[in-house]
Amino acid sequence: MILSNVGFFSLLLGLLSSFAVFLCSVLNIKNNLLKLEKKIYKFLTIQFLFVIIGFFILLYSFLISDFSNETVYNNSHTTKPVFYKITGLWGNHEGSLLLWLLVLTSFVLFFFFSSRDEPKNFRLYTVIFHQIIVIGFFIFVLKTSNPFDILFPVPSEGLGLNPILQDPALAIHPPILYVGYVGTSIIFASALAAMVTGYVNNVWAKNLKKLVLISWTFLTGGILLGSIWAYYELGWGGFWFWDPVENISLMPWLSLTALLHCISTLEKRDLFKNWSIILSIVTFMLSVTGTFLVRSGILNSVHTFANDPSRGIYILIFLFVLIFISFVIFLIFENKNSENKKEIFFLSKETSVLINNWFMIYFLSVVLIGTVYPIFLDVITSEKISVGPPFYNKLLIPFLIPFFLFMSVGPSMNWIKTNLKFKVSHIYYFLFTSTATIITIYVLSQKDFLIIILIFSLLFLTIKTIANFLKKNTNHAQNVSHLGFAMLMLSILFNSISSTEIIKNIKVGDSFVSKNEKITFEKVKTNEKKNYSSIIGTFEIKNNNNKIIKLYPEIRVYNQPIIATSEAAIKTTLFKDRFITINLIKDEQLFNVRYQNKPFMIWIWISTLIIIFGGTFAIFGKKKNYT
Amino acid sequence: MVKKKFIIFLFLFINFFGNCFSQTEPYSKLENDIAKNLRCLICQGQSIYDSNSEFALSMRIYIKDQIDNGYSESQIYNMLVKKYGQWIVYDPGYSKKTFLLWFIPILFFILGGAIIYLKIYKSKKYEKFF
Repeated sequence: MILSNVGFFSLLLGLLSSFAVFLCSVLNIKNNLLKLEKKIYKFLTIQFLFVIIGFFILLYSFLISDFSNETVYNNSHTTKPVFYKITGLWGNHEGSLLLWLLVLTSFVLFFFFSSRDEPKNFRLYTVIFHQIIVIGFFIFVLKTSNPFDILFPVPSEGLGLNPILQDPALAIHPPILYVGYVGTSIIFASALAAMVTGYVNNVWAKNLKKLVLISWTFLTGGILLGSIWAYYELGWGGFWFWDPVENISLMPWLSLTALLHCISTLEKRDLFKNWSIILSIVTFMLSVTGTFLVRSGILNSVHTFANDPSRGIYILIFLFVLIFISFVIFLIFENKNSENKKEIFFLSKETSVLINNWFMIYFLSVVLIGTVYPIFLDVITSEKISVGPPFYNKLLIPFLIPFFLFMSVGPSMNWIKTNLKFKVSHIYYFLFTSTATIITIYVLSQKDFLIIILIFSLLFLTIKTIANFLKKNTNHAQNVSHLGFAMLMLSILFNSISSTEIIKNIKVGDSFVSKNEKITFEKVKTNEKKNYSSIIGTFEIKNNNNKIIKLYPEIRVYNQPIIATSEAAIKTTLFKDRFITINLIKDEQLFNVRYQNKPFMIWIWISTLIIIFGGTFAIFGKKKNYT
Repeated sequence: MVKKKFIIFLFLFINFFGNCFSQTEPYSKLENDIAKNLRCLICQGQSIYDSNSEFALSMRIYIKDQIDNGYSESQIYNMLVKKYGQWIVYDPGYSKKTFLLWFIPILFFILGGAIIYLKIYKSKKYEKFF
């Protein structure tokens, strides 16, 4: 109980030091005092330390299962393994906001320490704008979602953590995702500050690019972990469902990707100033909108923790304030950063970047409209519609073909102007891609025209990207990420067109045949664990060459809270995943068995890791001036 | 020479994964396609195809019966929409109510293209004048 009070007061003190930072920064803009700047350092550190204290107190409360704390009581249980006691901290609304605050304050501290060489007023304005966000979130946490609410009398046992959240990939995905999400706040603040101080130039772009890369890389990692969780834990054999919550993480990713390309142009050519600013603002707005949609309970998903309307309203107001501030600042200071009137040639890297942004914004608008349209329609006409995969497939897939083709040639363009010369190698690329496409469609026996063109454009992209590695003066980080992207799209395409599935209701001892494999349901046994008991089935998969694979799918019944989940058994090989889930059928001896063949599953994860590696490479790699 | 080797490698590679595709399926393709496009009303964000709930299983039987009765895919959707509302189908379809849903993204695309065209065109004009 004392602990919770200490935690609450440390957050309160954190809020006070945020005000202090804000005040010091405002004062320091007019009077150039070294003393004040030192004070900003001090208060920023203090603010960070108080959040850390709050964070660790909550962590400790989770570890010792202190049920006098309401958050712990609602989301933990004494029988839970230590790992899930720790991760239970952010498996709920209050705790995850504390984590959000922690990342927020550490980012501004990191920014202030790492930006010593930049103009003083720019730094101060960045801190001021960022502190507005920090203060907003402090008040949000303290007022609507205090993680240190006290329960009296103290309950003897907690309510437990939702079992489908008890998974390693999911347990670590919030911190990674949050670094990506919250990182956009400093990009937002920096963009506004650069506008106000007239600092929107190539030096700013160069420094901001690093922050963009950090956010982008972590966001990619967070999305990857979320997908891995969906694949292994949800047990449907899919990894992306166009679920609103997935869309919400994809939207800032798309605008960050656009920003990443745009900011490179600003860095190299001093072009697209306003557009870079708009993208920086939009990215952060999308992050906050995501928080609003998830936390308000408007969306129906695993991530909707508690449906408390006051939280939604608070974030909504906060969002409008931020939009209003950025809009006003944009209008006032737009002229200060007048656009360079340089000529843009059609065949140039500048055009490629514009085209990239064009498609990114289009994809973004598809995802955004698809996510929010049903909400608005529900409010206006109280009619519920579902916007699912068919919508996204129809609007995205046809546009992917030109996108891939542009992406193949874009990186080979030069800045300013490219002279198109006829080279024999162009014919080679074309012939090579065509041959590879013909072989592929023959093997997959595809007759769908759209898919054939998709395969062609993707193979062309892959081949061109690989060829880029061999060039002199090439940006390897970019090549790696582009190659990862091409591989990702190829794996997803092959996976989606050639996955197969068999669903059977069978007894123990029965077997069934799938093309060249015989699957036998050998036995079931039961198992007792600390936090769940389970039924484990044993399956034997025998192929024509008498090679045997054993798989052990489970049905788990968790004790706190009592929920049954189906755990898939997955055998991963380089070329395909074999995926089995079992389910009980009421009042019968039968089990519902679902056997899936999922080609190239592992390549989806590997290629995303390659994309992430490209990002990491760009952050830490040596700075070179690419042509 | 290197290219030749690469082609051979590619050939082997593609042939290799050609072996992993199997065809046998207990539900017909049409049944699965319909099931994929229907929301399981008692689960969170799962389709009938993905779900194992009793609702999903009974829906599967319903779909099978309707196909056997000779109804087409769109007729089955229409029957279900009448019974459960538009919420049940993942495909929002084209109607007055969903017009903007389809149109706004396309508008974004057209606008974006126009802006880029103007940007390049304008910057050329600029050069002519100065």
